[in-house]
Amino acid sequence: MNAGHVSIKDVLYEEPGPKLKKRIKAVTAMSTVLIILLFALMVHRFYITGQLDGKYWFFFGRLSTWRFLFRGLIGTVEVALTSGVLAFILGFILMTGRISGKKAAVKICTALIEFTRGVPTLLFVYFFFLVAPQFGLKLASFWKITLPVALSACGVVAEVLRSGVNAVPKGQREAALSLGMVERKVFLKIVFPQAFRYVIPALLSELVIVVKDTTFAYVVNFPDLMQNASVLISNYDAMLSVYLLAAVIYIIINYLLNKAAAYYAGHRKERSLL
Amino acid sequence: MIEIKKLNKYYGDHHVLKDIDLSVDKGEVVVIIGPSGSGKSTLCRTVNRLETIDSGEILIEGEPLPEDGKDLAAIRSKIGMVFQSFNLFAHKTILENVTLAPVEVLHKSHAEAKEEAMRLLKRVGVDSQADKYPIQLSGGQQQRVAIARSLAMNPKVMLFDEPTSALDPEMINEVLDVMTELADDGMTMMIVTHEMNFAKQVSDRVVFMDDGRILEINTPEKFFSEPGTDRARDFLESIKN
Ligand SMILES: Nc1ncnc2c1ncn2[C@@H]1O[C@H](COP(=O)(O)OP(=O)(O)OP(=O)(O)O)[C@@H](O)[C@H]1O
Ligand SMILES: [Mg+2]
Repeated sequence: MNAGHVSIKDVLYEEPGPKLKKRIKAVTAMSTVLIILLFALMVHRFYITGQLDGKYWFFFGRLSTWRFLFRGLIGTVEVALTSGVLAFILGFILMTGRISGKKAAVKICTALIEFTRGVPTLLFVYFFFLVAPQFGLKLASFWKITLPVALSACGVVAEVLRSGVNAVPKGQREAALSLGMVERKVFLKIVFPQAFRYVIPALLSELVIVVKDTTFAYVVNFPDLMQNASVLISNYDAMLSVYLLAAVIYIIINYLLNKAAAYYAGHRKERSLL
Repeated sequence: MIEIKKLNKYYGDHHVLKDIDLSVDKGEVVVIIGPSGSGKSTLCRTVNRLETIDSGEILIEGEPLPEDGKDLAAIRSKIGMVFQSFNLFAHKTILENVTLAPVEVLHKSHAEAKEEAMRLLKRVGVDSQADKYPIQLSGGQQQRVAIARSLAMNPKVMLFDEPTSALDPEMINEVLDVMTELADDGMTMMIVTHEMNFAKQVSDRVVFMDDGRILEINTPEKFFSEPGTDRARDFLESIKN
């Protein structure tokens, strides 16, 4: 708020001094060497065990392979985005319930938040895959993976949003109230927009977890990247090469998400809007 | 305009406002002074119900202050409030800070609200900063914007809770000047402040509080030359140096 305000980030990521800079450089160089060595070792192992044999790699020369993987990637992105949006909506509702001050709502929402945070995603997946159909709930495989992933994330999203709301100085709310705005408007126009800006990096980190959770799609037979990779593996009997590629793609997706979070955080500091 | 009768407030066991009786007439400027912790802010904040009260009554233009809901919001929209820490909306530009409530609460058109906002920003001397964000302004500028934001609602009375206490000395006067102009224009004001010269200049009456009680209500001439209680005399002595 004030011009002299020091954020937590400033404290954590203070500009390093010359000594620290030297150390950072040294450690970076050492880890680079180590990673290259490990990589070389891995390639060497592959060579020895015959994993570099053409029969494990030739199909990457075919357009159809890439098209098939790309379709899986689209599936992954669709599930992740839909889950993300759903988790955000559910999380928002749970968060508003939890901070509503109404006893029953607080209790119910707190319980739901703890429940969804505590239960492993795979159990939710099995619920929609095995249990729900027995009660006549027949869903497309897309929803059989999207719903459990969303459920599993919504409690965390609720808590992230709540921490953002708590971080908004209470003077913001008081100023809005004193201008004659009703509570609901104060929350939607003043408090929540600021809370949301605070937690964008944390929400993107949660999206990384959502992306990883989508790999449970194989359980319900939804053709995501992982599932399509498995198909390739059984077709060509080439486990290592395909999984390696899939891992690289997942790493790239999540790296980009983390980059976006970091970029946003830095960008905000630069413009120093909040 | 404002009538406060037999008001009591507790924080838990702590009795912070004790049998407060005070009225502020239309066009009057009342300055509240007193030592830290005497309950000045709390009193100020009960008037637009940012603090609830435990007993007593607050009447605004003869009507009791509503407890909650739309009625309370409607009354609040007519009572301007300026805070020690400015509290400008951090995610909105200066212009948006001033236009938000007129659009959202009074349902003015954007064009109309903007025109009025620019007029007010000009009046307080920050119209050149309209497109910046609060944090890009100095404290004095921010506080003047906060005053403009309140004025945009066309308030019948304005509350100020130590509006210059968070400011660097060289910025205090630019805010006090704006407030003096408001007083000259006939605005009804209730001001908590430690600026004694300002209090002498603009106030019609001075209220001295200590330990949750009003000990004295007097004209500024009388109060500052011959305070009616020892506590007030001690207080005036203590802030001289
Ligand atoms: N939210 C709160 N909860 C509990 N006690 C409070 C709260 N706010 C204020 N108090 C107490 O109530 C008393 C009056 O506080 P208040 O802020 O009104 O004093 P003040 O006259 O404005 O002081 P200052 O000049 O320091 O601003 C103080 O003893 C304070 O500690
Ligand atoms: Mg105070």
